[in-house]
Amino acid sequence: MTLEIGGLTVRFGGVTALSEVDLTVRPGELVGLIGPNGAGKTTLFDCLTRRVEPAAGRMRFEGAGLEGTAPHEVAGRGIARTFQQLGLFPGLSVRENVMVGAHRHGRSGFGAAAIRPGRVRREERAIRRIADEALDRVGLLPLADHPAAHLPHGILKRVEIARALAVRPRLLLLDEPVSGLGHDEIADLARLVRDMHFTSDIMIIVVEHHMEFVMNLCERIVCLDSGRKIADGASGHVRRDPRVIDAYLGVVPWASPAGRP
Amino acid sequence: MSGVDVAGRTGHRRLAVGQVAGDRRRAWPWPRVTLTALAAAACLVPFLLEPYRVFQLTMVLVHGIALLGLNLLVGHGGRVSLGHGAFLAVGAYGSAIMTTSLGVPYPLTLPVCALVTFGAGLALGRPALRLSGPYLAVVTFAVAVVVPLVIKRFGAVTGGSMGLSTPVPVAPSWTGLADDQWLYLLVLAVAVGAFAVARNLVESRAGRALAAGRENPAAAEVLGVRLDSHRTLAFGWSAMYAGVAGTLYAWVVGFVSPDSFTVTLSVVLLAAVVVGGPGSLLGPLLGGAFITFVPAVAQRAGDALPGIVSGVLIVVVVCFAPTGLAGLLRMAAGAVTRRTGRG
Ligand SMILES: Nc1ncnc2c1ncn2[C@@H]1O[C@H](COP(=O)(O)OP(=O)(O)O)[C@@H](O)[C@H]1O
Ligand SMILES: [Mg+2]
Repeated sequence: MTLEIGGLTVRFGGVTALSEVDLTVRPGELVGLIGPNGAGKTTLFDCLTRRVEPAAGRMRFEGAGLEGTAPHEVAGRGIARTFQQLGLFPGLSVRENVMVGAHRHGRSGFGAAAIRPGRVRREERAIRRIADEALDRVGLLPLADHPAAHLPHGILKRVEIARALAVRPRLLLLDEPVSGLGHDEIADLARLVRDMHFTSDIMIIVVEHHMEFVMNLCERIVCLDSGRKIADGASGHVRRDPRVIDAYLGVVPWASPAGRP
Repeated sequence: MSGVDVAGRTGHRRLAVGQVAGDRRRAWPWPRVTLTALAAAACLVPFLLEPYRVFQLTMVLVHGIALLGLNLLVGHGGRVSLGHGAFLAVGAYGSAIMTTSLGVPYPLTLPVCALVTFGAGLALGRPALRLSGPYLAVVTFAVAVVVPLVIKRFGAVTGGSMGLSTPVPVAPSWTGLADDQWLYLLVLAVAVGAFAVARNLVESRAGRALAAGRENPAAAEVLGVRLDSHRTLAFGWSAMYAGVAGTLYAWVVGFVSPDSFTVTLSVVLLAAVVVGGPGSLLGPLLGGAFITFVPAVAQRAGDALPGIVSGVLIVVVVCFAPTGLAGLLRMAAGAVTRRTGRG
């Protein structure tokens, strides 16, 4: 029941975005994925959600390969993600956004919806309940009827997380969830992710540049550099790894000496 | 991260959002009252107006039905079609040929034409919707160009460029209605059904998925939405609405000819969706009124004028009111409620 990635390689023309990456994540693990810009973090998520076709390598999730999975079947496999740049549906309300997240928990299509029999109405209520639970979890239920636009960035980020939660995933991929957020919002989000981590045994992979956020949140950290995995281990070890400091931490101002042990 | 906290922090923004011009989602303030008033007016109208006006209102509803369907594809699905006039032609000719040559009772032609155009829509939409933007526009446009030519080519069945006269439905004697009143009420009943179905579709899992695919295809797909099948079905349904409208057109006008279903009709339909208000449920009705009344009004002023006036109006609405006439109405209603709310 794990996520196993082996020898994963992705090329875009001449650029090798990922090179021979191995990674195993077990249920209940919360993994921080770090690395400089262009290291291939988002590309790894794109592979897992079948938006990018790897040139080589294997991806197995819960014992079955992901290679034969179509992009629209990814949610059905229990995988959900958020996007580095907000990936919301701004023309829909906050609740409708999250209800699309619960799409996979319904069956009915156009034909049934047209005449709306009791079965469809029950399904609609169930989807709405799943959405409202997810919204409540991120504390946004009062904003459910608001358009998913013209809201503070931090709120929109949380709407997107609620939408991913409505998938009820067993593997959750968060791509820079706190980029562009203020100090308090970051603390809020860390609490939310930690809460998800402790109250369920889903796998969570968080890509983040905000070192304090990652180091406080994740026991395990994986570092990518130019598509290669250069470190994988307990956060205390990784942050002292000379290669990580060299590739990444050393050049980033917020990894200040004060922040290190 | 308490909910109360969030509501407090963003409560003021909630109002601010309503003031953003062009915000489609601002709700109409009096849904019940408006619907009741509209229903009452719609039922009384044929008994109060002269037959020509009743005919005009019937045509508003016929166009409104076609636009309701096209709006599913354009407003909700975010895909254009420059070819829906062709489905109107199929519906109109289907009904005309069935009633005149085959002697089918006219009510039966409606479900038959609906099914045929639904199938035709799926068959065309499936390959066409793999394309997008200008390519899809060109393919659907080609269909709109070809269909009148095909009609002319098979003159033995279709009457060629001379067209085909079909018997206008006669009001059953037990109703005591005049024929134009009967037709109006018939079309009204179909329009109400079409409206209810469109609303059900929009507010369903499939409808949300369709809109999600318009807003952000990548995100929708990751959440499990099959973009191509949702868009194809939306195309099929919109073609069916056009086919139903075409059938009603044949009933109401009693005459079909290739000149009634030229490329211009397809272009005007698409424009009317945009003018009425894409993605809104009231928009198609306003668009139907636009198609029916603007040329009639402009005609009085001069011969070349209808085209010019329609064209200029379309440009003005698209540039200055991207949410269409429906959006303008909502904005006006919002202003009224704010004023009365304060006063
Ligand atoms: N769709 C794409 N086409 C071409 N190059 C891409 C594409 N996506 C990513 N890349 C390249 O792959 C590398 C890794 O990118 P990315 O995974 O976005 O990095 P990160 O998320 O770690 O900042 C970069 O060099 C980037 O330019
Ligand atoms: Mg990235």
